[in-house]
Amino acid sequence: MSDKPARAARPVKLNVINEPKDSYTGGPSSLCPGCGHDQISNVIINAAWENGIQPHRIAKMSGIGCSSKTPAYYLGQSHGFNTVHGRMPSVTTGAYAVNKDLLYIGVSGDGDSASIGIGQLIHAIRRNMDMVYIVENNGVYGLTKGQYSATADIGSKKKKGPINETQPIDLCALAINLGCTFVARSFSGSKKQLNSILKAAMSHKGFALIDVISPCVTFNNNDESMKSYGYVKENEITLHMTDYIPHFNPITEVEVPEGHFRDITLHDGSTIRLETISKEHDPSDAVAALTALHQAETNAKHVTGLLYFDNTKASLTEDLGLVDKPLIDVADDELRPDKSTLDKINAAFLG
Amino acid sequence: MENIVNDFTINIATANGTGSQSANLILLQSLFDMGVPVSGKNLFPSNISGLPTWYIIRLSDHGYQAPGNRTDVQVLVNPATWAEDLAALEPGTVVVWNENSKLEMDRDDVISYPIPMTKIARGINPKLAKLITNIVYVGALAEILGIEQSALESAVAKQFKGKDSAIELNTNALNLGREYFRENLAKSDPYRVESREIETPQFFVEGNEAVALGALFGGAQLLSWYPITPSSSLAEGMINWIPKIRTNDDGEATCAVIQAEDELAAAGMVLGAGWAGGRGMTATSGPGISLMQEFIGLAYFAEIPSVFWDVCRVGPSTGLPTRTQQSDITMLYEGSHGDTQHIVLFPGTVEECFEFGWRAFDYTEKFQTPVFGMSDLDLGMNRWACAGFDYPSENMDRGKVVRDRDVFEAFEEFGRYLDVDGDGIPYRTLPGSGMAPILYRGTGHNPMGVYSEKPHDYLQLMTRLRNKIDSARDQLPAPILREENECEIGIIYLGSMENTIQEIDDILESTGLKVSQCRLRALPAHSEIEKFIERHETTIVLEINRDGQLYGILRKEIPINLVPKLRSVAYSDGMPPRAKIYADMILESLKEGSQ
Repeated sequence: MSDKPARAARPVKLNVINEPKDSYTGGPSSLCPGCGHDQISNVIINAAWENGIQPHRIAKMSGIGCSSKTPAYYLGQSHGFNTVHGRMPSVTTGAYAVNKDLLYIGVSGDGDSASIGIGQLIHAIRRNMDMVYIVENNGVYGLTKGQYSATADIGSKKKKGPINETQPIDLCALAINLGCTFVARSFSGSKKQLNSILKAAMSHKGFALIDVISPCVTFNNNDESMKSYGYVKENEITLHMTDYIPHFNPITEVEVPEGHFRDITLHDGSTIRLETISKEHDPSDAVAALTALHQAETNAKHVTGLLYFDNTKASLTEDLGLVDKPLIDVADDELRPDKSTLDKINAAFLG
Repeated sequence: MENIVNDFTINIATANGTGSQSANLILLQSLFDMGVPVSGKNLFPSNISGLPTWYIIRLSDHGYQAPGNRTDVQVLVNPATWAEDLAALEPGTVVVWNENSKLEMDRDDVISYPIPMTKIARGINPKLAKLITNIVYVGALAEILGIEQSALESAVAKQFKGKDSAIELNTNALNLGREYFRENLAKSDPYRVESREIETPQFFVEGNEAVALGALFGGAQLLSWYPITPSSSLAEGMINWIPKIRTNDDGEATCAVIQAEDELAAAGMVLGAGWAGGRGMTATSGPGISLMQEFIGLAYFAEIPSVFWDVCRVGPSTGLPTRTQQSDITMLYEGSHGDTQHIVLFPGTVEECFEFGWRAFDYTEKFQTPVFGMSDLDLGMNRWACAGFDYPSENMDRGKVVRDRDVFEAFEEFGRYLDVDGDGIPYRTLPGSGMAPILYRGTGHNPMGVYSEKPHDYLQLMTRLRNKIDSARDQLPAPILREENECEIGIIYLGSMENTIQEIDDILESTGLKVSQCRLRALPAHSEIEKFIERHETTIVLEINRDGQLYGILRKEIPINLVPKLRSVAYSDGMPPRAKIYADMILESLKEGSQ
């Protein structure tokens, strides 16, 4: 491009339903600059656009937390519901029961999904409800300023208080054991991988869990790090800015080839080792998927990719035994039985 | 000895899980089929098998439906409560007791009818003796009281629909019970039943089943529920009726049912359905409503249609799970944290259970706010006479939902929470419509539905919500008034107290006191309530709880000059209300007031 003369206006790129990407964007983000969650929002925008889904046929669902604020930042033409903490699955289930034709994309965090809402997550998986469920997993409670979540690794350290000694919940392992029909793990900096996983999940009939490691730029750090919140704060002491949030750049994009691993340096200077699951991995093999997760954990790695997939199970639609069209499109006179029906009921009661 | 006809109370003491419920329902149904005004109360334990159960049958030509103030005929089958039950009886009570229980019958001031129930039952079928024992006492009672054989047989046939061997076995046991009394004992008591001409044919139905049917005629599209006594039979009633009245020719339903993982999820699903444009409901009891509080606040604040049925039991905490009370009034009316106020409907009859079952959906969609139905274990789980359900008199009110683009385009400006009509009720579009999409939220928002913490936006929103609910009061079911000309004493009551109020009224009248009755049927209170209080010198607020919850609400809302006119009479011991207790308390309260 650079060696060609600049053109006045480039034609806007359209997707298969002739929509520009702008039709899929949302409002400006109010998350900390550099937050991985914003990268995930961008991937959601891109995947929905590339999949050619009508933006108004998507429903954006979320709970409470930093992650759950993000539906305001993508898919501005879609209705959404920012519900209560940990309870997004049940609200989605109710909406789904009366309108099964929308694409439900739920966004949640590790506090929302692994702690307060773990029961609802489990039961949504159990019902195999048709939805994409993205966990923006950073191991901390951001909005309440940095408490450990249930996915924090053993040995995690925050700027105050003890080192985390409680073992984490691996949501992917949990989901596979529950029979979840689509289980993937990715990284907020791995846009290409996340994009392809998300596009597949949007097409999946059943519950698709995507656990996205999305490091917190502000609170998932430790004082020893030169880029930590504490370090910056100490060195900015003359400014007396006690609520100073350092501005980080988003994590550089990283795509790890299948079967390989790479160390990623986080904002706080620490590293995580990402390994993309190998080509040989059979995603229909739950035992192999669990083995990969356990091996990764043993070797202090995070294995990413599509871990488990099963398209043979009935989804909630089949279980509910409803009429073909969404219930909200059923006319009032079909919803209310006629008078003769009530007359018959009264007569039968009278015996 | 003068006969006492159709005016006495039978108390049957058995253990649960022994089949006594079938026997008692046969007894009740046979009396009902003879045209005897009758009501039955099942006092059962929170247990599956082996704990004491009492069944109280009140026969009353006056139409009184509360348990009487004393037991006139006692059936003793359960050894566990034998001594206690016996000790509680007043002299002269008829005692029909199982001679084979090996327990002593040590009262000589009662009319004693020993029946070898177990022995007779064993003679029919030793393996089923425990079950048959109960039918034997029904047979004996039939002989003692003069219950028609044809009524008994038809009740047996109703109870065991089409199961010929069960019908034969039970009829045999009835006859042997009857024969034993005839051949071995002589009637020495005054109690008799006489058939009455049936002017309007009626049937027995439980309030829970009536709500279930009403909801299905109200176009319910989602039932999400978590099992809890005493509401489970409401949900199960819907599950039972959906295949019959809410499916197409292929057996596909137009109402989804999801048994949720807990009450929080049940509430969440109701909100999800309402948000998406459907009619969602749940059925629960007090503990479930406690768990749903967070969602109730969200539904109020984000203005999501949602219907919650609370079949009240005795609180607090797990309380007495199988006993009745009206103790969730405040929790429903002011549910969730922050300033809230909710629409609550209080059916007092099974006909109203049906009616409010469908109306609840119209109110919730019209006012875009959660709507509660509150009944209780007594109304919900006991059988009440019903002349038939009336077909909904109005078409469904789907509220201010913009479904067509033409209508949408005609709005100058569309905001989800914009008060276009000045009635506090905004317009909404549905997910999937592509019209005016917003991110619904439980956080503060401006009229456009956008996040806001601005004082003006918050104040405007909270004021509009208050005005919206306030404007509902005269559009909700008006109170039922039965007024005296004198207007001295008024009684405001609600819900299942309807079944006891006339007896209370008659007791008060027997002391020379004329009282007007006013049955409140919804909150926020209809403006007629205030006028009723104004018209009467003194108004008693009568309710089945300890604290006078409705009294508290009315006292807060009526003009201050009317407050001194109000008195609270509130009482609950877990038992269905007995008229004399409340009448005495009212008299006491009036006496205190006059001093």
